[in-house]
Amino acid sequence: MTRRFSATPYLFLAPALVLIAVFVLYPIGAVVYYSFTSWDIVRPPVFVGLDNYQQLLGDETFWKALSHSIIYLLVTPTIIAMSIVLAIIVNRKLRGIHIFRALYFVPAVSGSIAIGIAWRFLFDRNGIINSILITLGVIHDPIQWLSDPGLVLPIAMLLTIWAGVGYYSVIFVAGLQNIPEELYDAAVIDGCSDFQKHWHVSLPGLRPQIAFVAVISSLAALKVFDEIYVLTNRTGGILDSATTIVFYLWKQAFVNEHAGYAAAIAMVLLVLTLLFSIVNVRLLERGQERV
Amino acid sequence: MTAGLNRTRRRPLKTALWYVVLVLISVITVFPFLWILLTSLKGPTDLLFSTPPQFLPNAPTLDNFARVLAALPIPKFFLNSIVAATATTVLNVLIASLAAYPLAKMRFRFREPIFYLLLATLIVPLQLTFIPSYLLSRFFGYYDSLPAIIWPGLASAFNIFLMRQAFKGVPNELIDAARVDGARDWRIWWQIALPLVRPTVATVAIFTFVTSWNDFLWPSLMLPTIANKTLPVGLAALQSYFSSDFRSIAAGVTMTVIPILIFFIALQRHFVRGLAGAVKG
Repeated sequence: MTRRFSATPYLFLAPALVLIAVFVLYPIGAVVYYSFTSWDIVRPPVFVGLDNYQQLLGDETFWKALSHSIIYLLVTPTIIAMSIVLAIIVNRKLRGIHIFRALYFVPAVSGSIAIGIAWRFLFDRNGIINSILITLGVIHDPIQWLSDPGLVLPIAMLLTIWAGVGYYSVIFVAGLQNIPEELYDAAVIDGCSDFQKHWHVSLPGLRPQIAFVAVISSLAALKVFDEIYVLTNRTGGILDSATTIVFYLWKQAFVNEHAGYAAAIAMVLLVLTLLFSIVNVRLLERGQERV
Repeated sequence: MTAGLNRTRRRPLKTALWYVVLVLISVITVFPFLWILLTSLKGPTDLLFSTPPQFLPNAPTLDNFARVLAALPIPKFFLNSIVAATATTVLNVLIASLAAYPLAKMRFRFREPIFYLLLATLIVPLQLTFIPSYLLSRFFGYYDSLPAIIWPGLASAFNIFLMRQAFKGVPNELIDAARVDGARDWRIWWQIALPLVRPTVATVAIFTFVTSWNDFLWPSLMLPTIANKTLPVGLAALQSYFSSDFRSIAAGVTMTVIPILIFFIALQRHFVRGLAGAVKG
């Protein structure tokens, strides 16, 4: 079949391609260039070769930030496991179940800044969590949740998990409802317990949803910023104990005005996301094929 | 309808246990907000920090709300958020479904390269582009105004990807039949293909709206003037403005969260359906 050239497909694509060229492709190219410069955003950049990258290698905070971002990825398997359990719990016909489902969704729609502030209240030195723990006699002195370098990052991760589980479980509930009832009946006839039933029927049936949530939540975890910003009051935590790669990028570019150096950090973020996405896109495509 | 349904109704004890579990989980998800709400209603004589904690205000008051409204233009933040999120969503969905259609249903020379180019941009974290985009905002002259946060959010490779999956499911026979009847590509897209993928359009719209509504980092860089801020940025400003006045901060958070909750409870059905359909694409 021979076809004449038609401009139509390109016209359909034009708005998206122009926008992506301006707001994604050009900035990437620019960042690559800036990463080889010394630049404070205001004055023109000065080419310095590999200086920024060399400096990164010896920058303790950078390595800390990088390791924190990788640690942060632990939220993904946790979210998946907890969301599936929650989905199984709410996927039953009980009176008023949709009210509970709505309640579980509240953290997800409230926005990261609002929930971050709410958590600061809870975990304040004088906050309700310390009061409850002291009242119950679990601890004697208040714990410095948000100024203890060992606790800030885990609390931020907990916040991400807390906000994510209700959201992602909706996806898993839909997945569960697509699994044919007969499979469960067959499992029961084969003598499966409740747990085995979900292990052998629900989990394999949820494969596409698991792939999808893994992609979305791990990319979000790599880019975490808001939670850190609010919980640490824009500091990244004492001794940078909660500084992640994006937080460090922001701080270098827009607080310290080391835009060239920040561009080099951005390149590291790009490589990191690239590695992750190759794995993720494969997962996503495999998940889609199975539906 | 519900797979793996338990026969709970015949076992009252088991049903009761499930309710206990459900209530415990909702305490975890809702308590922080409840605590904020209670704090926002507390007057100067009510204790915020005490052991054991004081939950209910002795003298509930709306003073904190008045103080916040006097200090910060919360309704303006709302308006800004609504305008920005709505504009972003409508235009983004339109642009994504335009771009996705030929990628799914037309044959042309550069289809594969364009598709892979788009897939590749999916990988790029937006934060990476912030430094050059900051300069672009000066160049285009929209720094410190809502277009600064609308424009960069208009093209989403992820949405194009989802829409393409959906368009692929539209039967070719329908499109061919329309073409035989003399319809042009634009009409086929608008009148046949788009209505058939409406569930995906809803999904994409919901995802885009929520992402845009809750977006913080980019708007915080772009909107320095207080009257131009969106809700999340305004909330962060509120937190530093009232630094240790917890009652006022709580009032501010309450004011911003309650309308969103009402909105989402009203749309819950669509919201859940959209999210649920996301994976099938």
